[in-house]
Amino acid sequence: MLELSSGRGNFAALLSSRASATPFDGPAAHREVFAGSVRPVLSPGEGLATDPIHGTTVIAVKYRDGVINVGDRRATGGFAIMYDKAEKVLSLDDYTLMAISGSFSKAMEIVRYLRHAFRYYERSQLQAMSLDGKLSELGKVIANNAMAAMQGIGIVIPVLSTFDREANEGRIFFYDGGGARFETAEFGAAGSGSTQIRGAFEYIARTKGPFREMDRDTALREALTLLEIAADLDAATGGAGKVLPLAKTITADGIADVEETTLRSIVRDIIGQEPLAVG
Amino acid sequence: MGYSFYDWNNALQQRNEYVADRLKDGSPVVAVTFDGGVLMLTLRGNQRKVFEIYDRLMMGSLGKQSDIESLRLAAIDSAHREGFERSPDDVSVQRLVGFGLSPAVKKIYNDQSSIPLTLRAIFAELGRTANEDHLFVLGFDGEFRTLNRVAVAAGTAYAEDQGEAYVREHLPTTLSEALRVGLTAWGISRSQLAPKSAREEEEFDPLRDDGTDAPRVTDDPAVAVREALKDGATLEAALLQRDTRRETKYRPLTAAETESALSEYR
Repeated sequence: MLELSSGRGNFAALLSSRASATPFDGPAAHREVFAGSVRPVLSPGEGLATDPIHGTTVIAVKYRDGVINVGDRRATGGFAIMYDKAEKVLSLDDYTLMAISGSFSKAMEIVRYLRHAFRYYERSQLQAMSLDGKLSELGKVIANNAMAAMQGIGIVIPVLSTFDREANEGRIFFYDGGGARFETAEFGAAGSGSTQIRGAFEYIARTKGPFREMDRDTALREALTLLEIAADLDAATGGAGKVLPLAKTITADGIADVEETTLRSIVRDIIGQEPLAVG
Repeated sequence: MGYSFYDWNNALQQRNEYVADRLKDGSPVVAVTFDGGVLMLTLRGNQRKVFEIYDRLMMGSLGKQSDIESLRLAAIDSAHREGFERSPDDVSVQRLVGFGLSPAVKKIYNDQSSIPLTLRAIFAELGRTANEDHLFVLGFDGEFRTLNRVAVAAGTAYAEDQGEAYVREHLPTTLSEALRVGLTAWGISRSQLAPKSAREEEEFDPLRDDGTDAPRVTDDPAVAVREALKDGATLEAALLQRDTRRETKYRPLTAAETESALSEYR
C-alpha cells in the first residue's frame, strides 16, 4: 500500500476506530442547543427508558412508486424553540434516506459517518454495500451510542427508508435506542410526536386502503396531515404554517424533493390558510 | 568502492527506461471536459481502468494493475479522510495529487531498492463549467502536469501531446461529440508513440532488435481503434456528470450510450 505522508491515508482504520469507540461527542455547547427536548440537567437513572427525549416528528410512508419521507423543521432545546429550519430527512446515498429524531448533533455526526462509510466501501470495493450491510452499520452506530443515550445525552432514533432495486419496491426500517431494527410493512414514524399519531396510520390504512397503493400526492397529503396533527399534539413538533415541512421521495430513479408548488398547495389545503413558508 | 555521479545517473536512467518500456504498449486513457461534465475513456481488456475516487473526483490509469490499485486506494483513502474530518468541499484534486500522491510516488521512485510504480494516471475534478474542470496527469516519478479541457495518459510523452493537440482542435460540447473526439484521440495516442521521422529511422536501424516486441501498430487512429476492438477490447467510459440531481456525480456509461460512437469502427 502506498504510504502517504503522516496524518493522511488509512481511512479504513479511522472509520473503524470511530465506529467502535463511543462515537460522535460534539462540543458541549452544540449539544445543548440541538439536543431535542433534552433538559439541561438530568438526575442519574433518568434517560432512555422513562423520558421522551427526541422532540420532533418524522414520518415515512410507502406509496405506489417508492417511499415518501416528511419531517417538521423545529429544533428545540428544553422549552425553547432554537431553530425552525432544521433538516431532519437526510440522504445517505442515492437510494437511502434517514429521517432523524433525537439529538441533532449526534444525528448529524451519524449521517456524516454513514455517508462516508457507504461511499468509501463502494468506491474502494468497486461494489455497493448491501442493504443488509447498511442497516447493520446504522444499528451498530446506534448501539455504540447507547451508553451516552442512557446518560441523557444524545439519543438518536432514526427511520431509514430505501428503494430496494432488487425487489423493485420501497422499504422502511425503524430502530430502537439499542440499535435493533424492525422492518415495517407500510409506514414508520419517530420522534416525540409520533406516539400521538400512531393509531391514525392504522386508521388510514384500514379505511382508505394501504399506503403502498396510493399515488404520490395522495400519500403525501396523508403524511402531511399526520404531521400537522402531531404538531398540534406535541410541543416539540413544528407546524407547517410558518416553514414548509421537508418532503422527499425515493423511487427507482433515486431521491427527489417534492416540488415546492405541490407541497405548498397541499399544506394550504390541510391548514386552511396560505403557509408563510419563511425563507 | 565509490559511488560516482555516473553510477547514480546511470541507475536513474535505467529505472526510467525500465518503466518507460513497460508503459509504451499500454492502452491510453483520455479525459475530455465538455458542457455536461468530464468524460474519461479507454479501450481495455478485462481489468477496469477508470475509477471513482470521491464526490467530484475520478481517475484513469495505464500501467501495472497492482500499482494502479495501490495508487487508487491511497487516493480514495486520503480523499475520504479529508472529506470526513473536514468537509467534502476541502477535497480537491490539486491538494490530493500535489500534496498527497505526488510526494508519495516520488518517494518510491527515489528509493533505489524498490521498483518504481509503473503507471501514468489522470485525475479529474468536476468544476462548475468545462473550463473550471481540473485535470492532472501524474507520472511514475511523481512529477505531474496540470491541464485544462483535455488530458491524455499514454505510452510516451509524444503520444500524449498528439492526442491532446487533436482534442484541442475539436473541443466537444456534447457527450456524443466528446465520445467521438475522445476515441479518435485514443487512436492517435495509441498509434503515434514517436514522431514519424524517428519511427522511420528506427525501421532502418539494422542493429535494432525488435523481434520480440509487440507488433508495430499502424499510425492511423481509426485503424488502431478498429484493431483493438477486433482483438476483443471493450470501451470503458465514465462521466463526472455536471447537471445531475443525483448525489453521485460519477457514472459509468452503458453499452447503449457508447454504441453510436463505436459503430463507426465496426
